[in-house]
Parts: sequence; C-alpha cells; structure tokens
Amino acid sequence: MTDSDYMIKTQNLVKKFGKNIVAVDDVSFEIGRGEVVGYLGPNGAGKTTTIKILTNLLKPTSGRACINGWDVNNEPKEALNDVGSLIGVPGVYDYLTPDEFLTYFGKVHKMPKQKIKRRITEVLDMVKLSKWRHSKIGSFSTGMERRLAIGKAIFHEPNILILDEPVLGLDPEGIKEIRELIKSFQEKDITVFLSSHLLDEVSKVCDSVIFLYDGKIIEQSSVEKIDEIMKEYRLIDIEFLNPLPRSGLEKLNGIEMIDKVQKVSENKVKIIKSDGDPTLTSMILDEIIDRGFKVVSYSPKRSDLEDFYVSLIEKKEGDAR
Amino acid sequence: MKPFKEDVLEDLRNTCLTITFELKKHFRRKRMILSFTLAVALPLIFYIAPRLWGSFPDSADQFASINLSFVEFLIVISGSLFAGDAISGEFEEKTGLLLFSTPQRHTTIFVGKYIGALIPTFAVVSIYYLTTSFEIIGIYGMDAITIDFFKSYFVALIYTSSAVSLIFLFSSILKKKITTTLLGFFSLIMIFPIISTVLEFVIEVEPWYIMTYPVGLITDVFAAVPLFGAGPGGQVMSSPDFYEGIAVMATYTLVLFFAGVLISAKRRME
Repeated sequence: MTDSDYMIKTQNLVKKFGKNIVAVDDVSFEIGRGEVVGYLGPNGAGKTTTIKILTNLLKPTSGRACINGWDVNNEPKEALNDVGSLIGVPGVYDYLTPDEFLTYFGKVHKMPKQKIKRRITEVLDMVKLSKWRHSKIGSFSTGMERRLAIGKAIFHEPNILILDEPVLGLDPEGIKEIRELIKSFQEKDITVFLSSHLLDEVSKVCDSVIFLYDGKIIEQSSVEKIDEIMKEYRLIDIEFLNPLPRSGLEKLNGIEMIDKVQKVSENKVKIIKSDGDPTLTSMILDEIIDRGFKVVSYSPKRSDLEDFYVSLIEKKEGDAR
Repeated sequence: MKPFKEDVLEDLRNTCLTITFELKKHFRRKRMILSFTLAVALPLIFYIAPRLWGSFPDSADQFASINLSFVEFLIVISGSLFAGDAISGEFEEKTGLLLFSTPQRHTTIFVGKYIGALIPTFAVVSIYYLTTSFEIIGIYGMDAITIDFFKSYFVALIYTSSAVSLIFLFSSILKKKITTTLLGFFSLIMIFPIISTVLEFVIEVEPWYIMTYPVGLITDVFAAVPLFGAGPGGQVMSSPDFYEGIAVMATYTLVLFFAGVLISAKRRME
C-alpha cells in the first residue's frame, strides 16, 4: 500500500521540545477511509502534539505525517483541504458573528457563495446556534464557543475529521449530541481521528483505538477485540461486613486464584484475576468464606475500555520501575 | 502538484482573504474609528486654535510644518494599534489553533496580516494630510499646496511602512499583544529617538542609520521653521538628506518585514 491508500498515516514521527523532552517518540499508524479511531493516553502522553503535527501547527523533529498521501508539513494546502479539525480549546474571534466566522472559513476552503449560505444554516442548526447567527461570539458561553468550533470543523463537509478532546467543556446533553454526530459521520464514510480522555465516549463511537504512553504507542487494537478480551468477568467487587485490617488484605492476597487485591474503602475491595472463568469466580468466593470473612456482597463484573486502559498504564508503569 | 501559476494565484487569493479579515477586525474593534477621528481632530486643532485665539503663520509652509509635526505621533499610535496584535494575538488568544490549521501557507496569512495593518495606517496618514491640505487651501489658497507637501506625505508613508514593519516584527517574536504594542510604541517614541540624540550630541556622529532619524524630514522638507539649538553644547540639530533618509526607511521596511514573516513562519503553536 502507498501513502495515498490511507487517509491518515504517520511514519516514525518524533517531536522533541528542547534537547530532553521527547513528546512523540517514533509514532507510526495508518487510518483507512471511513475508520473512526480513538487516540488515548494520559495527560502529557503526546496526543495533542501528534494532532498538532497532523494539522501543520507543529513541525515534527523527524518522521512524516501524511493526509490523503500529502505530506502535511510540506504540502499543507493539499493535505488539509479535505480536513476538518478541532484542536484543544481554541480561542474564537469574539468580534465576529457565527455567520461571519463560518463565512470566512468557508472562503478559506474555497466554497462557493451559495454553498456557504446553505451550510451556515445547516451547521448552525446542527450545533444548535441558529438563534445566535448574527450575535457577537464575544457574548457566547464556553459551551457555545465549543459548539461553534465543532461547527467550523465540519462546515466544509470534509472527508477527514481530526478532533482533539471534542466534548471538552460540553454538558452531558452536548456530549450526547457530539457522540451522535460522530456516529453519523461513520455512516457517511468520513474518517475520524479523535483524542479523548472520556474512554466511555471513545468505546461508543470508535472502531479502533491507539493507546499512547510517554510519547510511544503501547497498544493498537480494534474496540471489538478489546471488548472480546474484556468481556470475561475478571473483576470482582466485594463488600465485607466489617472493616478489613491489613492482615485481612494479606489473607486475601494469599488466595492463589487472585492476581491482585485493591482496597476501595474500609470494607470494600476490588479483586482482579487473569482468568474470566465463572467456575474460578465461584471457587474464589468459597475460599474467602472458608477463610472466615463475612461477605455482604460479591459482584463479578465485566471490564470495560477504561479497565483495559488502566491495566495497560499500570503494566507500563510497572515495567518502568 | 498544482501548476506554479495556479499555486501563486491561490496564495494571492488567501492573502487577500486575510487582508479583508484583518480590516474587518480593526473596524469591529473600533480602532479604525479611533485612529480616523484622531487623524481629523489633530489637524483641526491647528486650524481652530489660531482662528479663535491668534493668527495663522505667515506662510503655508510654516503652517504645514507645524501642523504635520504631530503626524509622527499618530503613525506610531496607529501602527501599534493595527500591527501590535497581528501575530502575537493569534498565539495569545489561541485563535491560531483555528487559523493555522487551515489549508493555507502560513506565510500567506502573515503577509496578509502585515498588509492588513499597513492599509489602515496609510489611511490614517492620508486622512491627516487631506485634512491639512483642505486647511491650507482654505487659508492660503490652492497655490499654497507645493511639491514639498507631497514630498512630506511620501516621507510619512515610507516612515509608516518602516514603523509597521518594526511592530510586526515584535508581534512575530513576542507572546503578549500588549507587550508588542507597548514595545513598538516606546521604541519609536522614546528608545530610538534617545539613541539618536545620544549619538548626535554625546558621541557626535550623525545617526543616519537609526530608523527614527529621517522622520524629521516630514517637516524639514518645508524648511520653513528655523532650526534651533539643542544638546549639551547647544549644537544645531542636523537634518538627514532626503534621499538618504528615504533609502534608510525603505531598507528598514523591507528587512524588518521579511524578518517578521520568516520568524512568524518558524513559530509554531506549541
């Protein structure tokens, strides 16, 4: 496959700030047409830096970032023409109205006048700002500014969307609306690359995820595959009748079938086991009771993307130590 | 790849878009109205005050020379207002996250921003000269507008370009728009003139290479106001040669403009 076979492709991308800070370290990934890919990682992992390189806001120290086969940093006009982006929390031009704001960006994308007019109505409707079409943006709330910035990203009907924390600053209803919007892009075969710290959101809209830690990709997988791994009951929440002393915790840790015990509160723990077999779950309960613990509740549960993410990070931090 | 001609035309189109966008910004932020009002009000003071409480100078050149001595001040104010936040504002307010991720060469945006600051500053200077010219015609008659008046106007425009280039350069380096605006203002009003004076009267060399030195040509071209003693020894202030002054200011304009564009193009939204 060549560069142009992928909508987004990075090749050994490295970004250093100064001599010692490596924000992005040899990151390579490919995203095909119509894929919705989540880009996950803790704060400072290098997500926004990657996205800024992909949108020509930063130049990589080495490596390449291509969109539609065009090198973003060398051919920005061609590479970014079909891209809608929302990066971080941008400022907005407070002296303009949404109508003027979108008109300007429409012109930048060489949209014909008639299309600009039509799209302003459609997009402001979509982001629920129609009522404020001719009001100064300076009087908008943070949520409204955010919605307008999202509107700007989709205004020229791009085939590629690059979104950095798109639901940041939105209320639950706004988050739901953006989720629905992203889902509708999937149906339209639009490629979406989004970073988010809301893992639940990512699992609901993405086809696959890339996990980033300390500037490096530590896992790249489809959400389906992660679901497959996590659907087994590997976690058990237990509530005891009495507060658990340190010796009690040690006793629990001594049970061979258990991988790890995490104290949640005085009388609650979370048990992690590597095998999701239900027989094992039942045997663990027997063993706990045999060891004299008084159990109030015992609830095995499925892990989700968040648990997967936390286990990856913990593993990585463990390796680093 | 696009053919070269098409590529250049597209860049020109993008630059024009930025210019329009910048002009709208200056207009909406009331800077344009403020500067234009000053450009009319300042020369009016020199017309109304003598009419009410005194008399007009004997010659039109003297009137023009006194009246236009304030145009430098207005150029610095307008240049600082229009160019001060051209680049630094995009970084400080993070609007650059929206603008610089669009399919445009960053240099076309910066060139557009520079021209977008230059046009209103030129307009302010032109309004000032237009108002003054009406006053001269009203007081001394049509013949009183001489070639020197146009030479003065030309010097003012060249000085405007160099002042805007300097502030634009500051804007491309500094993070805060207020720092840019103040540094631009004080450099042109205080810092450069002080250096000039020190060189001229303390070290006793002609400071022809200092950007603000030739600005005196705006009024000196009329040679209507007698030179006065100044400096520690009461030396007579020198006036730069007209063509040398124009060359110095034009050089500053070009060098500072290109430096500003190059530095802006290197700058990234970190």
